[in-house]
Amino acid sequence: MDIQPILAALRRHKAGTILIALQIALTLAIVCNALFIIHQRLSRMNEPSGVDEANIFVIQNLWGEQYSTQEALERIQEDLAALRQVPGVQDVTPSNQYPFKGGGWDNLITLKPDQRTETTDASYFAGDEHFLGALGEKLIAGRDFRPDEVQSRGLREKMNPSVAIVSKPLADKLYPHGDALGKSFYAMTSAPVTIVGIVDVLQRSDVGTWSVPYAGESMVVPIRMAMPWGGYYIVRTKPGQLTAAMRAAPKALYAENRMRMIDSKDGVLSFAEVRHRAFERDRGMAILMSIICAVLLAITAAGIVGLTSFWVGQRRRQIGVRRALGATHRDILSYFMTENLLISLAGVALGVLLTFGLNLWLVTRFTLSVLPLTYVLGGIVILLLLGQGAVFAPALRASRVPPIEATRPA
Amino acid sequence: MLKMTHLSKVYRTEVVETYALRDFNIDVKEGEFVAVTGPSGSGKTTFLTIAGLLETFTGGTYHLDNLDVSNLDDNARSKIRNEKIGFIFQAFNLIPDLNVFDNVEVPLRYRGMKAPERKERIMGALERVGLASRAKHYPAELSGGQQQRVAIARALAGSPRLLLADEPTGNLDTQMARGVMELLEEIHRDGATIVMVTHDPELAARAQRNVHIIDGQVVDLAEDPRFHTAYAAAAGQVRG
Ligand SMILES: Nc1ncnc2c1ncn2[C@@H]1O[C@H](COP(=O)(O)OP(=O)(O)O)[C@@H](O)[C@H]1O
Ligand SMILES: [Mg+2]
Repeated sequence: MDIQPILAALRRHKAGTILIALQIALTLAIVCNALFIIHQRLSRMNEPSGVDEANIFVIQNLWGEQYSTQEALERIQEDLAALRQVPGVQDVTPSNQYPFKGGGWDNLITLKPDQRTETTDASYFAGDEHFLGALGEKLIAGRDFRPDEVQSRGLREKMNPSVAIVSKPLADKLYPHGDALGKSFYAMTSAPVTIVGIVDVLQRSDVGTWSVPYAGESMVVPIRMAMPWGGYYIVRTKPGQLTAAMRAAPKALYAENRMRMIDSKDGVLSFAEVRHRAFERDRGMAILMSIICAVLLAITAAGIVGLTSFWVGQRRRQIGVRRALGATHRDILSYFMTENLLISLAGVALGVLLTFGLNLWLVTRFTLSVLPLTYVLGGIVILLLLGQGAVFAPALRASRVPPIEATRPA
Repeated sequence: MLKMTHLSKVYRTEVVETYALRDFNIDVKEGEFVAVTGPSGSGKTTFLTIAGLLETFTGGTYHLDNLDVSNLDDNARSKIRNEKIGFIFQAFNLIPDLNVFDNVEVPLRYRGMKAPERKERIMGALERVGLASRAKHYPAELSGGQQQRVAIARALAGSPRLLLADEPTGNLDTQMARGVMELLEEIHRDGATIVMVTHDPELAARAQRNVHIIDGQVVDLAEDPRFHTAYAAAAGQVRG
């Protein structure tokens, strides 16, 4: 189909043409960015935590009374011993936090003690020599903590660990040449921390978007931390024993010492539940964005169907004339399909600019990353197909206008 | 060129059956200029639309250029309309969204003609109807007579063998009607077969042969001069 006469005719229908092109442009801009956000949220949700998720649960233990640091440390040791007696329990560690907890501890990391701006930020896990075992983490380099390295500390005491196990993303950020093992870094203290072990994946405790630039960067230090309010126990069970152990664990703790509170609803969480809760907002956002996309696409399609139907009705006579002058069904069909393609192309051309404009705003306003080109290309394909799909029914109706229509009295 | 035998056309609605044409016989020879006359509602337009393959018929046979057209599919009919037939309608039927040049180009594009040849033919046809200088104008910017001449140029540009005109001067004043008629005569002299429906006895008289239709049937007035005068008088009253 030749486009010149179609363009010429469109110039005589500016209002409708511009309206639909603008609608397509806006839809493209919003859908591209929304799909990108959806994809980012979904891929965050599906990121591996690094821990043995199927066999892990977490207990949040609140002391019923104020303990001194020394008392708290003793209670913790008693609790750990009690938990190890629970049938099905494989390993357990005390901890200040766990992956995907939301919020939590993190430290700015530098490579030199007097460095002004940080090299990066790491999620800060404090556990004992059972930490890796209790989380089901596997070392890819170096060694686990030795029992004699583990310090016991009250919350307000100075923490100056000399060794740490770090996640691979943190190791690579600090030492990009893959030679992090044995090297050291500084975490808010003037004493160097030596990297003695590296694990492949250990997700951060926080799940907010602020830490996206530091994704997956975590460190574990050998500190048994006595927090005045209580703390967390991360428990790993033997395969298939999770449910039973989750039920038995709080009973064992209460039996050992009644002066505590373990919330009946949120006090014992399987790791599956931890993950589910961590990404509730992301899931909600993804659903909302999907609905917005679907509604926008539906409105745009409806606009195209409406305008084309109106134009077909308006042009019945000239369609008849074209048929009388030799146009086939296909000529008429392709006239309207091509007309829509031209409007859509103008729309997406403008839309690409709007898309990057909107993305730029999202990048500066919120911490969204720069939209990959594939999303724009995908969006363009979606909108062109949508346009062609929407225009097909009215175009088909147009192609069925009989040539005799040319002779009907006006 | 155009031969219909025992042709009939029935319009069926839920309540009535209208025989627009019945036992309709006509034979237009190659190169003839035939004027079709008859009272309103007698079936003139129906005849022309069937002749031009704009519509199918109910019974009988129709041979166009020795080809039985009754079993042609829609694409074949479109191709014949495009290549062999030129239409001139009473209401001009130019496409309002296209300028004069683009209007004349429409049938040539459907023929798949290359741009340089299209341009040559369009300008040739527009020169012939005296409107070459108006190529960039839109139909709404032209008078009725000019629009009809554009329509004639559009019909001419494809060099059709058969030109079908349904009251081409019906919407024009006498002066403009004469101009259109002179154009048609010129086209006829160049070899085209022309079938023209008209209410105007003066124009009808200038054709080689008059065919009179009454109630969907043909009466050949050329063979009976008495009918001719009677019709002329009747037509005069209708027009008055
Ligand atoms: N589409 C149609 N549906 C029903 N009846 C029609 C239709 N077209 C024409 N007719 C009828 O056929 C007859 C012939 O019409 P037409 O060929 O238009 O006459 P003319 O052109 O001589 O005035 C008329 O009675 C008219 O009402
Ligand atoms: Mg008529």
